[in-house]
Amino acid sequence: MKKVQFKSNYSQYFFLAPQLLILLIFLYWPIIQTFKDAFTMQDAFGFGSQFAGFDNFLFIFSDPSYFTAFKFTIIYSFVITLITGSIGLLLAVQANKVMHGKSAYKTLLIWPYAIAPAVVGVMANYFFSERYGLLHHLFNNLWGFNWYENVFDAYIYVIIAGSWKQISANFIFFLAGLQAIQKTVIEASIIDCKSNIRRFWTITFPLLMPTTFFLIIINITYAFFDTFGIIDTTTIGAPGSETKTLVYKAYIDGFKGLDLGSAGAQSIMMMIIVLVITIFQFRYIEGKIHYN
Amino acid sequence: MKKLISIFVLLVSFAFTSNSYSKTEIHWWYGNSGFLGDVIIEIANRFNESQDEYMVIPTGKGSYEDNMAATIAAFRAGDQPHYSQVYDAGAAIMVAQVKNGVVIGFEEMAEKYGIDVDADNYIPGIKNFYADGDGKMIGVPFNSSTCLMYANMDILNEVGIEEVPKTYEEFEGMAQKILDAGYIPLLQSHSPWIWTENFFSRHNLLMTDGNNGYDAVPTKTLFAETEAFVYHWTKVKEWYEKGYYGYKGRAWGDNQAPFTNGEAAFWFGSAASFGGMKGVLPNFTTNPIPYWDSVTGGKEYPTFIGGAANWILNGHTEEEYKGLAKFIEFMGSPEMDLYYHNMTGYAAVTKGGIELAETINFYRASPYHKAVGDQLGLEGSTIPGGYRAGNWPQIREVIYENVEPMLNGDITVEKALSNMDKGAAKLLKQFAKTL
Repeated sequence: MKKVQFKSNYSQYFFLAPQLLILLIFLYWPIIQTFKDAFTMQDAFGFGSQFAGFDNFLFIFSDPSYFTAFKFTIIYSFVITLITGSIGLLLAVQANKVMHGKSAYKTLLIWPYAIAPAVVGVMANYFFSERYGLLHHLFNNLWGFNWYENVFDAYIYVIIAGSWKQISANFIFFLAGLQAIQKTVIEASIIDCKSNIRRFWTITFPLLMPTTFFLIIINITYAFFDTFGIIDTTTIGAPGSETKTLVYKAYIDGFKGLDLGSAGAQSIMMMIIVLVITIFQFRYIEGKIHYN
Repeated sequence: MKKLISIFVLLVSFAFTSNSYSKTEIHWWYGNSGFLGDVIIEIANRFNESQDEYMVIPTGKGSYEDNMAATIAAFRAGDQPHYSQVYDAGAAIMVAQVKNGVVIGFEEMAEKYGIDVDADNYIPGIKNFYADGDGKMIGVPFNSSTCLMYANMDILNEVGIEEVPKTYEEFEGMAQKILDAGYIPLLQSHSPWIWTENFFSRHNLLMTDGNNGYDAVPTKTLFAETEAFVYHWTKVKEWYEKGYYGYKGRAWGDNQAPFTNGEAAFWFGSAASFGGMKGVLPNFTTNPIPYWDSVTGGKEYPTFIGGAANWILNGHTEEEYKGLAKFIEFMGSPEMDLYYHNMTGYAAVTKGGIELAETINFYRASPYHKAVGDQLGLEGSTIPGGYRAGNWPQIREVIYENVEPMLNGDITVEKALSNMDKGAAKLLKQFAKTL
């Protein structure tokens, strides 16, 4: 194959410029600003700004509610990934088997994906309202549900609110993954093995691994960042600071508390955490996955 | 051709419309919503109709916190409004910004552009809350409330209680009766504001060192070392366990809803809450917040001013400030002050407004409005009429974070209060560094 050669040395920069400009303005500039905020101490209006070294980082590390938020974020992303992944997979496998009205099932299952997290939160608010919430009444009858002060109950609240919409995302990708598996492989396996369940775990699921891996990353990023609107419209971090995600805490400290130094330091910590998770995943998990 | 003519006509008519809008625009940002936001728009409309030179454009930015964040972001981008509503917890931050040229103090503005309302025309307690260390009024008093006790008289009649409690001791004595009748005895909507800040003011106790921040930049809060405060929360926890007090989370409305629906006997909220309750709950009264008789020895003290003030922001033209001066004058007139007091339940903030209310016998017609003035007007306090502590919005968050584990029994009252002190001390130290 022959490589395409541009005559001018500059035309490529011209075509790249718009994209680079967008990256520069919306990505690199804010990152630089965040670093600046994280290492300075300033008042809300940006006056009295002075270099603070690692003071802002020491400040957040001496804050017990930062560790609570850290713990919750880890638990939250793990549980959300597990729940949305498994229910999404189950629904996709079942929808793939359906003969009649396939597209109707598909459409209905994909629908929630189009709803904004804040709207999901407001809806969950109704379900968990002490006054007229169906789920609140159900759980209350079962074990005396009170998310205002019980940490476990608050977890249930934000996990249900956070999972519902993301199940749809998992469903779409698993369904697409299932449909991409060649019929011949499935047919050959039917001859070898009668058990549906065994066939699924030994043939279908391994072939879905690339999709699963992709979804794990998507779900973790979702639980980390996109659940902001859900937390803000449901528990607002209560009880204590037990249901604050790291993003939500950075927002509260930065925009409600007007402490940009601490919020900047928290953003950088978040960047490091995501970086570590991503490296770990690509290093250790991806090696075990076989792409066709 | 016909098309061309119609386009031409359209363009000309646009030119004329924009001409008629060539009034000087004054932007006013606020942090109220719902009914209170509607009243703000109505005030601006009335001003705009009263003259032709200036036009006040009110913009709601959400909650108090949202509006403060939006104002700061706008200032940093060089796009700030002329006038912005900032709440009590942000007062220390705003007063500190005069020296940086962000905020123009009321008195400086009055001197330069001739506002016909004197700073002394505002009620002293309210004036002092928004004044700097030298007593010069910086913020312009606007919606001034305080916490009040709302009582459902139908429930009290049903269980045979004749008088609303004046003290917490009296409340404690009647709570079981109310509970037995199937009602929640007590709810309140804001633990930091009502049961922390105003616990201290109501009992004439200092909340932070440095004389509540008026004499020196505060370095710590006095929660755990104030015996009365420990006693109060110990009692609250006891009430919570017995069912005398019901906690419905942090959301203001979730705690108010059971009361508005006639399921609770008493609710502590803001003086401005009554507007939404009138017409919904048939028979309720507004009363001063109770106090511990055992702490004050039977004496009552005034609570802090809550609510918000409007702040003049720097960086606009002289012509615009002249218009703003006219608007401040308009809002400070006795008629507008009383109008706002009547509509919302916020306190009348000018002496003129109060005089007018007395001349027309306003309180006889509407007794709801009386409690706020009575409670704020109490005398004999030896502590300042407010607190000057930075990072206070975050300190309120720290208070909330410790109230919940205290109520559910994860930590003891002493531990919760000392956690609050620790968290607050760190935030106060952080703020002191930026001064």
